[in-house]
Amino acid sequence: MKKLLWVVMLLVAFAFIFPIVMMFFTSFKAEGEVLNPASVVPKLWTSENYRNVLEWSEEAPFGRWLLNSVFVSSSVTLLVLTLSSMAAFAITRLKVKGGGAFLGAVVFSMMVPGQLFLVPVYFILSKLHWLDTPAALIVPATAGGFGVFMLSQFMRAVPSAVEEAALIDGCSPAQVFINVTLPLCAPALATLGVLTFIGSWNDYVSPLVYMDSVRNYTLPVGIAMYQASYYTEYGRTLATSVLASIPLLIVFLVFQKQIVESMASSGLKD
Amino acid sequence: MTARTGIGLLLGLCLGLSVVRGDFSCGTLASKKTPITFWNGFTGPDGRVMLEMIRDFNRENPDVEVTMQRIPWALYYNKVMVSGLDGRGPDVFVIHASALTRMQRAGVLAPMDSLFESAIPADDFDPYVVEQTKFEGKRYCVPLDIHPQGMFLNKDMLRAAGLSAAPKNREEFLRAAKVMKSSETFGFALTAWQNNFMSLLPQFDGHYMGADGKVDLDCPGNVEALEFLGSLKSKYDLIPPPDNQLGWVGYRQKKVGMVWDGIYMLGDLLRLEGMNYAGAPIPVIGKHAGTLADSHTLCFRPGMGATQREASERFVKYLSANSLRWAGAGQVPARRSVRETPEFKKMQVQAAFAEQIPTMMYFPRIPVLFEMGIEVNLAVEKVIRGRATAKEALKIADENTQMAMDRDAEQHKKVVTP
Amino acid sequence: MTWKKRQQLTGYLFLAPYALSFLVFLVLPILVALVLSVMQFDLTATEQIKFIGTQNFTDAWKDDYVKQAMIATARYVLLFVPSLLVLSLAMAVGLNAVKKGRNVFRGMIFLPGIFTIAVTAILWQFFYNLEFGFFNWVIKQFGGTAVPWLSEKSLAMPSIVLMSLWWLSGGTAVILLASLQQIPTMYHEAAALDGAGSWKTFSKITMPLIKPVLLFTVLTNTIGAFQMFPQASLLTQGGPELSTRGTVQYIYEIAFQQYRLGYAAAISWMLTAVIMVFGIVQFIAMRRNSAQ
Repeated sequence: MKKLLWVVMLLVAFAFIFPIVMMFFTSFKAEGEVLNPASVVPKLWTSENYRNVLEWSEEAPFGRWLLNSVFVSSSVTLLVLTLSSMAAFAITRLKVKGGGAFLGAVVFSMMVPGQLFLVPVYFILSKLHWLDTPAALIVPATAGGFGVFMLSQFMRAVPSAVEEAALIDGCSPAQVFINVTLPLCAPALATLGVLTFIGSWNDYVSPLVYMDSVRNYTLPVGIAMYQASYYTEYGRTLATSVLASIPLLIVFLVFQKQIVESMASSGLKD
Repeated sequence: MTARTGIGLLLGLCLGLSVVRGDFSCGTLASKKTPITFWNGFTGPDGRVMLEMIRDFNRENPDVEVTMQRIPWALYYNKVMVSGLDGRGPDVFVIHASALTRMQRAGVLAPMDSLFESAIPADDFDPYVVEQTKFEGKRYCVPLDIHPQGMFLNKDMLRAAGLSAAPKNREEFLRAAKVMKSSETFGFALTAWQNNFMSLLPQFDGHYMGADGKVDLDCPGNVEALEFLGSLKSKYDLIPPPDNQLGWVGYRQKKVGMVWDGIYMLGDLLRLEGMNYAGAPIPVIGKHAGTLADSHTLCFRPGMGATQREASERFVKYLSANSLRWAGAGQVPARRSVRETPEFKKMQVQAAFAEQIPTMMYFPRIPVLFEMGIEVNLAVEKVIRGRATAKEALKIADENTQMAMDRDAEQHKKVVTP
Repeated sequence: MTWKKRQQLTGYLFLAPYALSFLVFLVLPILVALVLSVMQFDLTATEQIKFIGTQNFTDAWKDDYVKQAMIATARYVLLFVPSLLVLSLAMAVGLNAVKKGRNVFRGMIFLPGIFTIAVTAILWQFFYNLEFGFFNWVIKQFGGTAVPWLSEKSLAMPSIVLMSLWWLSGGTAVILLASLQQIPTMYHEAAALDGAGSWKTFSKITMPLIKPVLLFTVLTNTIGAFQMFPQASLLTQGGPELSTRGTVQYIYEIAFQQYRLGYAAAISWMLTAVIMVFGIVQFIAMRRNSAQ
């Protein structure tokens, strides 16, 4: 029984990574073999697809898109962590007046679906002259309430005696925040950071709507655009997909445990 | 990984990358060159030819720096329109002649009459093509090419089926489609449904708009044209069921003998090796020859300064004068003098497609062309799948397009000040 | 200034950056969306912008394409959410039961979630392609005929759902697994002592204990599923016959291809209303559950 279950789980897990393996193999097939597969593994390995993509880097500036993606996602993550933890600190530790009501509004705003913001935010960004700049992808992404909600919950669950004592002893709130609260919240911050980074990395709609210049695209839109021009050449689009996925794949393999556990704990906030 | 190193890493990434990206440029030396941004949707090999032409232009004109950006057409118009409306648009850009109505009305185009008076000889274009550049007497674009829909053939498949020449009429076409069909291959397949259908309209004396200025998509000629396309599946069972992009991909894989598509698809064949292809006019299925066509045209944004405008005019003049090179990328130049050259006549596919210029018909000049395209596409799809008769499908398309027209007219009513 | 007051002031300073972002990019957009929805607001006809009351809403109510998009959205939600729940719960239970290699399996199941939707769609297009797709290649190897995964009306939406399951179910399974692992083993031991079968243990002990997380998962995934856009827009472009064009894709087309921002805002509000109804019902269910 245990053995059988183990085999079933192995098959399930394999089914999940099979498409990825397939993508990798197919990207090393010559165009003819892509269209008439004789086997899953290439009969004849070739780097032709990769050479094709990289030779015309001006056509599909991968490096640039990758750079944009890393820049945008790290900035969003950093800002979300900073702003949310500061806000949660103000609400739960400094106990600002109206903090509870504000948190209530934030929680309520989480119920409003994101699609409603597409057109109005476009409109606001246009008035700010932020369209087609990285700010359009970074700043609006910090408004979401999840981080503040999650960190407030976390801070409430952790005793605040140390911080209160430090405050009474004359430490400035900023000192307490940096030296006591932040280290205390490290696990929650890590979870929030991972979730925010993956969310921002995979965001397709905002760059599609807010960016005009090809060189300002992030990977998701860049790849989709490249595919739209080269839909007839599967080997080539799969090679681009592999190239685009490698950086995050490496990060995932290195920090697998932390990432998956951060994800896991996101459902256990109460 | 501690939280501190994590945060430090993120901070480092942000700062480092913003420097690499050049967000904080440290006062670059003001260049003496006039910058021109040029946008288009030439994302295939044709874009590479365009890029080379721009390199040469920049070399010959050291005082100007043209930079090009390419976005696939499907996304391109959103971007040109919204960035133009927002004042961030490109200086020079390509739009299809069919998109002119909407763009001109939105105010993102500048008149170009001065250019026709000085640099571009208007009489070197077909009168029909010149007519398409005008609005209320003013010209708003310079046609770079004409791209008629035509027929692409696989010569090897044709020969293997015992055919020596491209089919020229309905009987020959049906026969060719039949003899090239096997368990593995098709003689003919549809590509862009809307374009395939519209290519037949002029042949059946169909039209888009009635004499009363109302949409008339279900007129007898259109119904007949669509009935023919439908019969290819229902009556003759010659074509595969409609599937996204399958027709062209199948042709490219040598599994389809003939397809109808625009000359711009030639670029996709030019980068293929070992494909024995040829071009021909769309066969005469209806009463007489005819096909659908459109143009890539060059436009200016309004509000350019005098220096920039002068440089842009020079650039457009250069592209137009060198459009033989552009023809080599798989296009038919709009300039008649270029099409007369022996070099162009040697380009088999381009020259064959160009034969259709006297009988071609452009899209209707209505602002809701995008909405009409979706309706027509849907109508063709329904008929091919046997879910509606041509008359029924076109009637629905007609009503919905008219509704879009009415709504559009209501929203764009000219404000009359008493 | 008293110490207490100063602390309050510092508190507001700490709150201010987020509050500003919240106001400008969350509260203000809601107001803008409200205003837009009662305006005729065509980006290409700015001189014609005017107040038209509820006309956008009545137009949307009569618009057959809105209906069609809502139906497509509903089909996606109804197919996706239950199958996501069953699949990820089954995987979580399976993972919880195996000891050897659990973390490796967990990582493998989670892996698809890190691919961007564009890559996911390219990959699955390659699997689904009628002529040379991998699925049809396998089918043909066994002598079958090609299946039109994306071009048959009845198949296209399930195909999109299958891709979404591959992409998203790992994350949900990981969350459910974590909640399973929090159940103290003594509960199960006690049940075993009482002679309860494994199904009985699962339904009477495990399910009630993970119910809050389960409800949370359903809530977030339902809200997400109602906003499905890139999956269909990249895989099928909304076809065949617009049967997979979801509401958000239609809103995008209205706003950024037809430039009718007012009308797009009105449809957004209608979709929001639908989502809110679902959200509130599930929220109440969660409250009731945690009160018990």
